[in-house]
Amino acid sequence: MIPVTVIAGYLGSGKTTLINKFLVEASSPIAVLVNDFGELDIDSKLIDNEESLTLSLTNGCVCCKLSDDIGASLESLKNRDISAVVIEASGVSLPIKIANYGLSWPGFTLNAIITVVDGQSIARLLKDKFVMHTVKNQIQQADAVLLNRSNNLPLEELHKFTTNVIDENEISDFSDLILKEYSPIQLVKEGTTDHASFRTSVFTSNKPVNKEKIKEYFLSNPNIQRAKGWIKEEDGSCFLLQMTPSECNFSFSNSNNETRIVIIYIGEGLPALKL
Amino acid sequence: MITVFLAKSIITMNASMPRAEAVAVRDGKILETGTLESLQPWLSKYDHKIDEQFKNSFIIPGLIDPHLHPSMAAVLLPTYFITAMEWKMPWGTTPATRSAAEYDERLKEALSTPTHGELFITWGHHALWHGPISRSRINSIDSKKPIIVWNRSFHELCMNDAALDLLDIKESDVKNATQIDFERGRFYEIGLGYAIQKLNPYILAPEVFKDGLLKLKEVVHFGGQTTIADMAVGLFDLETELKTQNDLYEVDDNPFRVELVAHSTVMQQGNSVEDAEKLISELPSRNSHRLNFRKRVKLFTDGAFFAQVAQLLEPGYIDGHQGEWLSTPEQFEENTRVFWNKGYAIHVHCTGDLGLELAVDTLEKMQEEKPRFNHGFTIEHFGFSTPEQVFRLSKLGANISANVYYVHELSEIYSNDSVGFERASSMARIGSSFREGITTTLHSDFTMAPAQPLMSMWVAVNRINEKGNLMCQEECITPQQGLEAITINAARVLGLDHEIGSIRAGKKADFTILEEDPLNIDPIKIKDIDIKATVFEGKVFSLKSQ
Ligand SMILES: [Zn+2]
Ligand SMILES: [Zn+2]
Repeated sequence: MIPVTVIAGYLGSGKTTLINKFLVEASSPIAVLVNDFGELDIDSKLIDNEESLTLSLTNGCVCCKLSDDIGASLESLKNRDISAVVIEASGVSLPIKIANYGLSWPGFTLNAIITVVDGQSIARLLKDKFVMHTVKNQIQQADAVLLNRSNNLPLEELHKFTTNVIDENEISDFSDLILKEYSPIQLVKEGTTDHASFRTSVFTSNKPVNKEKIKEYFLSNPNIQRAKGWIKEEDGSCFLLQMTPSECNFSFSNSNNETRIVIIYIGEGLPALKL
Repeated sequence: MITVFLAKSIITMNASMPRAEAVAVRDGKILETGTLESLQPWLSKYDHKIDEQFKNSFIIPGLIDPHLHPSMAAVLLPTYFITAMEWKMPWGTTPATRSAAEYDERLKEALSTPTHGELFITWGHHALWHGPISRSRINSIDSKKPIIVWNRSFHELCMNDAALDLLDIKESDVKNATQIDFERGRFYEIGLGYAIQKLNPYILAPEVFKDGLLKLKEVVHFGGQTTIADMAVGLFDLETELKTQNDLYEVDDNPFRVELVAHSTVMQQGNSVEDAEKLISELPSRNSHRLNFRKRVKLFTDGAFFAQVAQLLEPGYIDGHQGEWLSTPEQFEENTRVFWNKGYAIHVHCTGDLGLELAVDTLEKMQEEKPRFNHGFTIEHFGFSTPEQVFRLSKLGANISANVYYVHELSEIYSNDSVGFERASSMARIGSSFREGITTTLHSDFTMAPAQPLMSMWVAVNRINEKGNLMCQEECITPQQGLEAITINAARVLGLDHEIGSIRAGKKADFTILEEDPLNIDPIKIKDIDIKATVFEGKVFSLKSQ
């Protein structure tokens, strides 16, 4: 089955930049489907180098558009030597809808939904009378949220805008994104395919948890590659957790999130995290 | 040679001479309306014949449906209708089917006539009326004949064993697909896309598409229409659509013209709006007598009304779900600006009040940047709205083309399950739009509603829903306004009011011949008025002989 990665995010959030990064780093051919109306911004030079291809599509509800362009493209890709499909959702797409192609089109599987958020405009968009719900949904439906152009804004400031909406997602700063972990080939949601090298599991709890216990758990399970999320301790203090194989950080957060940790690991499964 | 048509009464829709008894026609155009006596200056000078075939009937301007989709119709019309609402078709009336037992009965009945092709497709199933559909349920009716049950909303279909076999859909191929329920034979949303891909050879094959467009020809004539607008050319494939329509409709025996409006999103695909505008500006070079592009374009704001993805202002849907945008507000504004500045009439698909808010805000911005008058900016569908938006639309000079059939089919269920009575009962708020002096027309968006302007007029005048309940009397319009909506106002919205939409000297001789006077009949009977014939550019196309 061919993995499908959905890149969602509002107009101008940086989806194309991310996709161009994918194209540069792809070691095997990938197909990029752009479900948008405007001019195609994908750098065609990148595509010539790889045996990858890009298709521009307009999809719509059957009431407004008779043909299912994304479906038709996926069908035609089955016969090509493609290792992954990346769909750039239109600025107003609900990612879940597009992700359903990965979940429902025979021969394909959903890898992940990545929503790109522009740090410069997110605060405005979340208050915009027309698109506030759309933008909120794009963030909430993502497996991973990438913050783009956040350089001038401290991360804390960004969390202020996003804590009330991003309660279920991992946030990464776009600039220190480790692409490998989000490559359209490797990041695979749990249970979707057998040859997954990376799996994701989510730990949630509404009871207080202990930092040290969590650290211990990570240390005793070396197949954990990365973890990120929030934890809440007995005294109500909240920490942002970031764990990579080389370090495990807890930074104090002003937010008031319940404990929720996204864990990326390799292999068959993880022992349950008991506290 | 002049032909003079006599009638019991001619309702001209020309305010300066609202009624007449005779109309003189030459070369497809009206010379004069009045009485046999008043026409004498023409008749004493030129050869003429008096045509009395309509002398006991009523002549009204040829009816106009300013928004439907021939390509959608072409897909749907070859299917067999089993529907909760009654659909009158030229080949027979589909009765209202209101229960699961009745549904199965109808399906059995339909299958007993062996006239169907290899694959039997029926359209119109609605779980609310007809109960949940499944593979086993269809199998129990017939498991040998391949059968597809297509949902009324178009968003789902269900197959029996034989259909799955015929289309070669195997469990092993689709077992992981979340929007395909193989066990129950159901394909929805993305799964539906997959099923349609498999169905394409049956529903989009050139012969089937042609057959569908020919059926539409009958439907349009049957509805008494002499002008229709294809309000999104490119929906399926621009070249195929144009070629097939040209082959089938640009012929002497075709009783109507088709006004073509390009689907801007399709034209833009992968290019800039400026490129799309350029392509659209070149389309009129392909015009023919009956098929015409003009300086018009179709844009979109929010999602489909039937699928409950219209964008709503607060407080939104009762269950809290969100509507959808079809383009970002920024893109919508950018597109509007390009076409506005080039002088286009912009037709905007808007279903919810938030979708409408975007259209109104954008129009206001355009008027500030570059004021235009009689600009033809038209709100298409006009599902939910607020009185304040109607007021603003009036000040900004917009037109409204409403799908008033929503009130009939959806107001009851949307009252109970979607948005509550206040907003559901006032959907298609056209009483207000008439009060504000907005040029308002009615459309079918066929196949969203029957392509019968008299049906639209009936709903607009009576606002009686499928349960028989009156929905918001304050938004009812008068029969006079109703008839304006489907004649002269429709012509205005299409920018053709100098040629069609009323019966007066100089206009095209397009008439619809009715057996009763739609302005004096009990309004509840308007939809049942018999249409005797239509006249297209002076030529009579009878309906009764069929
Ligand atoms: Zn529409
Ligand atoms: Zn339409």
